[in-house]
Amino acid sequence: MAAITLSGVVKSYGRVTAVHGIDLEIAHNEFVVLVGPSGCGKSTTLRMIAGLEEISGGEIRIGGRLVNDLPPRKRNISMVFQNYALYPHMTVRENLGFGLKIAGQPPAVVAERVAEAAAILGLAELLDRVPGELSGGQRQRVAMGRAIVRHPDAFLFDEPLSNLDAKLRGQMRAEIKKLHQKVETTVVYVTHDQVEAMTLADRIVVMRDGRIEQTGTPIEVFSHPVNTFVAGFIGSPPMNMLPARVSGGALRLADGTGIALPERLAGRAPEGAEVILGIRPDDLSPVGHGLIEAGQGAEVEMTVEIAEPLGMESLILSRLGGQEVQAKLYGPRFVAPGERLTFRIALDRAHLFDAATGRALEAG
Amino acid sequence: MSARRLKAAGLWVATFLLMLVMCLPGLWVVLSAFRPNREILAKPPIWVPQRLTLDNFGKIFGFGAEQVAIPVGSYFLNSLVIAMTSTVIALAVGIAGGYAFARFRFRGKNAVFLGLMLFRAVPGIALSLPIFMLWSWIGLINTRPGLIIVYVSLNVPFTVWLIDGFFRQIPASLSEAALVDGCTRWQAFWRIEFPLARSGIAAAGVFAFLTSWNEFALASQLTRSTASKTLPVGLMDFTAQFTIDWAGMCAMAVIIIVPALILTFLVQRHLISGLTFGGVKG
Amino acid sequence: MTALLRTHRTDPAPFLLLAPAVLVMLSVVALPLVFSLWTSLTPYRLTRPETIGAFIGLRNYIRLFSDGAFWAAFGRTLLFLVIALNVEFLLGLGIALLINRITWGQRTLRTVMMFPMMFSPILVGFQFKFLFNDHIGIVNNALQSLGLIDFAIPWLVDGRLAMFSIIFAEVWMSTSVFAILLLAGLFAMPRDPIEAAKVDGCNPWQVFRHITLPFLMPFVYIAMTIRSLDVARAYDIVKVMTDGGPAGRTELLWTLIARTGYENARMGQANAMAYVSTVLSVLFTWYFARKLIAARRTMGGAE
Repeated sequence: MAAITLSGVVKSYGRVTAVHGIDLEIAHNEFVVLVGPSGCGKSTTLRMIAGLEEISGGEIRIGGRLVNDLPPRKRNISMVFQNYALYPHMTVRENLGFGLKIAGQPPAVVAERVAEAAAILGLAELLDRVPGELSGGQRQRVAMGRAIVRHPDAFLFDEPLSNLDAKLRGQMRAEIKKLHQKVETTVVYVTHDQVEAMTLADRIVVMRDGRIEQTGTPIEVFSHPVNTFVAGFIGSPPMNMLPARVSGGALRLADGTGIALPERLAGRAPEGAEVILGIRPDDLSPVGHGLIEAGQGAEVEMTVEIAEPLGMESLILSRLGGQEVQAKLYGPRFVAPGERLTFRIALDRAHLFDAATGRALEAG
Repeated sequence: MSARRLKAAGLWVATFLLMLVMCLPGLWVVLSAFRPNREILAKPPIWVPQRLTLDNFGKIFGFGAEQVAIPVGSYFLNSLVIAMTSTVIALAVGIAGGYAFARFRFRGKNAVFLGLMLFRAVPGIALSLPIFMLWSWIGLINTRPGLIIVYVSLNVPFTVWLIDGFFRQIPASLSEAALVDGCTRWQAFWRIEFPLARSGIAAAGVFAFLTSWNEFALASQLTRSTASKTLPVGLMDFTAQFTIDWAGMCAMAVIIIVPALILTFLVQRHLISGLTFGGVKG
Repeated sequence: MTALLRTHRTDPAPFLLLAPAVLVMLSVVALPLVFSLWTSLTPYRLTRPETIGAFIGLRNYIRLFSDGAFWAAFGRTLLFLVIALNVEFLLGLGIALLINRITWGQRTLRTVMMFPMMFSPILVGFQFKFLFNDHIGIVNNALQSLGLIDFAIPWLVDGRLAMFSIIFAEVWMSTSVFAILLLAGLFAMPRDPIEAAKVDGCNPWQVFRHITLPFLMPFVYIAMTIRSLDVARAYDIVKVMTDGGPAGRTELLWTLIARTGYENARMGQANAMAYVSTVLSVLFTWYFARKLIAARRTMGGAE
């Protein structure tokens, strides 16, 4: 049970720097998800917290204690690996109890704690099997069980669900969330899947190229992305990004289409500025089939190129300002390619980014 | 007959011939080891053995009425001691080296690997010349330790190669999990990685054992008497005699072959996987 | 993520772990080789110990290169290796493809094939000396009993036949190396590319030539590297089967070294020869080990 503090943490391999000075405060009992594309340094950061990678610079503290030079075993953390890393020559029982046994706990304590963990995760039936006899989901649970038996200060998860199929992944996501509610512990969770990040996290840390791009609650990161990268990475389907120029108090898209300047951002976009207009597909819907109340926002005419019906909603591929955009149609209505529809844009939820730097204008 | 059945029959015949060529020579030697010498020498040849006997074995080991002047018993003991000792040492050295190759990235890795291989490639007879001279001066000639040391060097490169392959089949995340679970590097190795690589290490050990057990070129120059002579060198003793004792030689051949066959049978599967894994996957 | 235990450049662990291996090789192989090099520059004879101090430069090598017997042995050795290795490779490939085709007893066949590899070369030599013996050998006995010949073929007495017999023994012993490793390669081979090629209209030969063979190449390199390490084991076979005879017609570089060094006690000269044979072997291994390391790299990248 402890807070984790990273200050100015750097990792370099020879001349290549993988992590460029990360600062991050993780509160006790907080569930923090590090998310980003592969190679963004999230796993490396996690492995530095675990002690599996040496730290090239900066400080890592767990529970206030400087752990920079401590081996993993002295950090009192536990970790769930991407491929589970269950010991194939040990039964589930031995896997769960291994850490306690190494720590010199008496057999009675080991048995009790193993039973406790097995009960939490529903592993009681499987204790005498070896990992080779378990399904993917079961292995996943054993790996989590091995993490909780030791009552560590923090759980580290390294892409734990990436080897599961989509359905099982949803189930295990819920189990991890339940586990965190039952076992109060700080959690650092690494994933490249923004859905996992959104659903699990108390706080999301979006990383790119060894740097933190944004930190915040899932809603903050979703509603107020600080730059085009975060805006494009978080949310599915991804945000539409349309280059535009501020002209005469309105936005003029590449092909001349005019769209009113969102009121919220009017003061931040000077005349003549080159910007990028960000609109989530959810905020771009045919009139009468969206989440936007009538009379609000801006209206544009677009031709449907492809429609993907999903049942209660359809994804529509179309073109705006000379660029491909995705829009969402709510309600079970059939749309044919070539159909010309009026779409409404929820301008109060639209984003403007500086075209040169990619930074959100509202962030200043 | 259809083309398909013809093809199947062709495969069968080819396989049968192949096995015949593979097995027959060895089997004939083994059979001859149990036949009296005069039956082997008989003209016209006696194809079906009239009498199988253990006399040849008794003879070369010095039991029974007839005796051979070749001390096979002490050769056997020498072979066993030398092969076992050099195997144990080569394994210890090889486990350390193989682990370093499998688990660490370091500068000059390929160069070291290549270096080990190149030293292994030196022909035994070429290497025997300087070692013969050096060992004569240090007093290691015609001693068991003298041969053991040489065999360790013969086995280290290959043992490193094989064991590297076996360790690489074990995901590194297992030992990382053990480190997080509270193990030291040392504990993680002995409790997780070593047990998982055990059958592979055994295979490497068997290979090393047989290399020593079978070696001739170096042993024939570095050993002189019953103090250190091994079985393959002992086999050549027969050719020095006035008349060749084919039956005795066959019996001795069987003594050399049998451990090799048994050990090979035990580990053959692991041996292939170690060679190919270490060789192919980077 | 690749989960290697990455270490700092300064981490001494891998070097400490490798130290015993390197130390053994340096002291038991490299050091004697240095000594051997010195000896090859002296007229050292075992019978005259004081001659080891006399430096004569490259005279041993010069004498060697103007010696017809040496060149004969050298050429014979190259010929022996070229024939033996090619036959072993082709035969091994054939056997691997054959065993890959059959569905029953695959494992047993593979085990049986492993046995010749594990035979002592001296035993293989003895075995074929026994089999090819012109009076009592099973080969002649069988041929005569079947009435195919009415005289004894002098397998080990005639120069050409003796060379053939030795190559036969060598091939018998070492074909398995290729067969087993290539078979392992065939087992490891993914089905998809082959099926894709078939769908794309390749005939069986084209599939083999363009899909199977390139995939097998790393396994060929492994086999070649392994073989290159012990080509000199042929010394054992020759030693027991013919000892270089008849009249030096099967004399290989390695038997010539032993004869010069031990029987004639001319250590300086023998060491010069030994150096030539060492360079030959080392180049052979170097060539294939390099290919193997390169293949490891590309195969690693494909994963």
